[in-house]
Amino acid sequence: MVPISYTLRSLFVRRSSTLLTILGIAATVAVLAGVLALQQGFDRLFAGSGSESVAVFMRPGANAEGESQFPRDKAQTLIKGQPAIATDDQGRPLAAMEAYVALRLPRIGGGETNVPVRGVEPLTYAIHGDSVRIVEGRWPVPGTDEIAVGNKLVERMQNCRMGDVLPLNLSPMRVVGVFASDGPYGSEIWGDLDRILDALERANPNRVIARVVDGTDLEVLNDELEVDPQVPAKVQSERTYLSNQTGLLSAILITLGSFMAIVMGAAAVFTATNTMLSAVASRTHEIGILLSIGYRPVPIFVAFILESLVLGLLGGLVGCLIVLPINGIETGTTNFATFTEVAFAFRITPLVLGVAVAFSLVLGLLGGAWPAWRASRMRPTEALRRM
Amino acid sequence: MSDQSMIQARKLTKVYKRGGETLRVLDELDLDIDAGGFFALMGPSGSGKTTLLNLIGGLDDATSGQLIVDGTDVAELTGSELAQWRSDNVGFVFQGFNLIPVLTALENVMLPLGLTPLSKSEQRKQAEYALELVSMSDRMKHRPRQLSGGQEQRVAIARAIATDPKLILADEPTGDLDRDSANAVLELMTKLNQELGKTILMVTHDPLAAEFATNQIHLDKGRLAEVRERGAKSGAAAAGQLGGE
Repeated sequence: MVPISYTLRSLFVRRSSTLLTILGIAATVAVLAGVLALQQGFDRLFAGSGSESVAVFMRPGANAEGESQFPRDKAQTLIKGQPAIATDDQGRPLAAMEAYVALRLPRIGGGETNVPVRGVEPLTYAIHGDSVRIVEGRWPVPGTDEIAVGNKLVERMQNCRMGDVLPLNLSPMRVVGVFASDGPYGSEIWGDLDRILDALERANPNRVIARVVDGTDLEVLNDELEVDPQVPAKVQSERTYLSNQTGLLSAILITLGSFMAIVMGAAAVFTATNTMLSAVASRTHEIGILLSIGYRPVPIFVAFILESLVLGLLGGLVGCLIVLPINGIETGTTNFATFTEVAFAFRITPLVLGVAVAFSLVLGLLGGAWPAWRASRMRPTEALRRM
Repeated sequence: MSDQSMIQARKLTKVYKRGGETLRVLDELDLDIDAGGFFALMGPSGSGKTTLLNLIGGLDDATSGQLIVDGTDVAELTGSELAQWRSDNVGFVFQGFNLIPVLTALENVMLPLGLTPLSKSEQRKQAEYALELVSMSDRMKHRPRQLSGGQEQRVAIARAIATDPKLILADEPTGDLDRDSANAVLELMTKLNQELGKTILMVTHDPLAAEFATNQIHLDKGRLAEVRERGAKSGAAAAGQLGGE
């Protein structure tokens, strides 16, 4: 094996090209890590939240609540007659109807975006428990034109601060509370179910949520309800429901990240190849020395591949350093499952860093393979002649 | 071939093809060199000196003929076997010193030892000893650019003897040196020959350098032209059996 000190020191002899290559790889890795951090943030918002003991009932065949319609009479039948729904200490079923409408509202910085508006019943708050909590003001009084807004909307959307009046269609609604949520509810506007349905001219709620009795197997319940002649419904846990909402956007983000990584990665590979070809060209004489001493082609190939891998690794580490400051920064994007905007934070997770570093090593490997092969194929006498 | 034989060449031929031109650099050369001598290989430019040295050192392949070095038919070895054989049996000293610039003198000398089964500390010990033999112990941490030409060549000689090969091949080792440094290097090579019993084959244009050798071999147009022992005015042009001291 060619001494590692030779490999490492040789890298820093050609400082400028080494630095440029490292920066090229770093930029590529940073873009990939940034998109992955976006995906991780989105994934965590949905997949990492929601309760297993809260069930979501929708129309059979609906994948998102926006596609679902749940007529009031059927909802009432379900709530009163379904034994899997838990009750509170007064014997009331812990279930509530919810309306869900995406409404186009103006952003603070200009432009408009779709914001989810949810009509809720008083029991909704009890069903969600601590995962949705008021952080300022109070919940709306039932039957009034009051609304509470998710904390992630306050700084992003117009008329969403405490005391503001936000027109929903033509009905002015007063903001009386700001709430926070561990999941995506923090990007929503909540108001009284009937007032929201009226204001938005909708006839029916979209779904029913309920706390279920401990030990309820929701898959079995789903199988039963899907073929129920009286109240056919699709049921799944809130966690499963939210997790399913990430699928499309996650796939888009991963595809986007992969596409950018491939395009930029190809450029980075060419840069690395160019750097390593220059390294091989400028050190042809040294390769001749090593060959004349008795080093075989394989150790020489390994030495140059190692050099390229170190280049890749350094690029990867710099790329990770570049992208680290975006950790926790909030942004918004359209959730294609509901076509509403959802706010979430970039998350630089160990997985993101691991993928970024692995990717940088692949770039180094690809960039170094051909030059290393060329170096190892040299004939000692020809290599020694080149100064 | 005698028991003392180090190199035996029979009808050794090397032909280069450049463009449409065929260049016969070695032309059925016959040569025997005994072990333990210090030989100067001389001749005009293009006479085949360096080509012969490269063939003997296993850096290049002959077009035809036989070449046996220390009992091994080098033409029979594969590329990988040849690399191992070079590492075990031959030390090279070049005109341009050929040290790796990013490595210290000690690390340069340790390079060939990295191909041996010795532990790192043993390699270091042996490299230090080789540097001591060439009086470069006080410069072992220096990089090549911090050394004079003569010092660089001493380090290159230390590298050549680090694995204790029987044969040292030197290609114009004093070509880039001033007279004093050249003499010091030649004295060192004489010492390696006389005290350590190394067989040395040195390509040189310099008649003064050749005087340090026990025998002079003159090539011309790829053939043996003359063989001369030290002190002799001239020798017979023949496929001579060249004896070491």
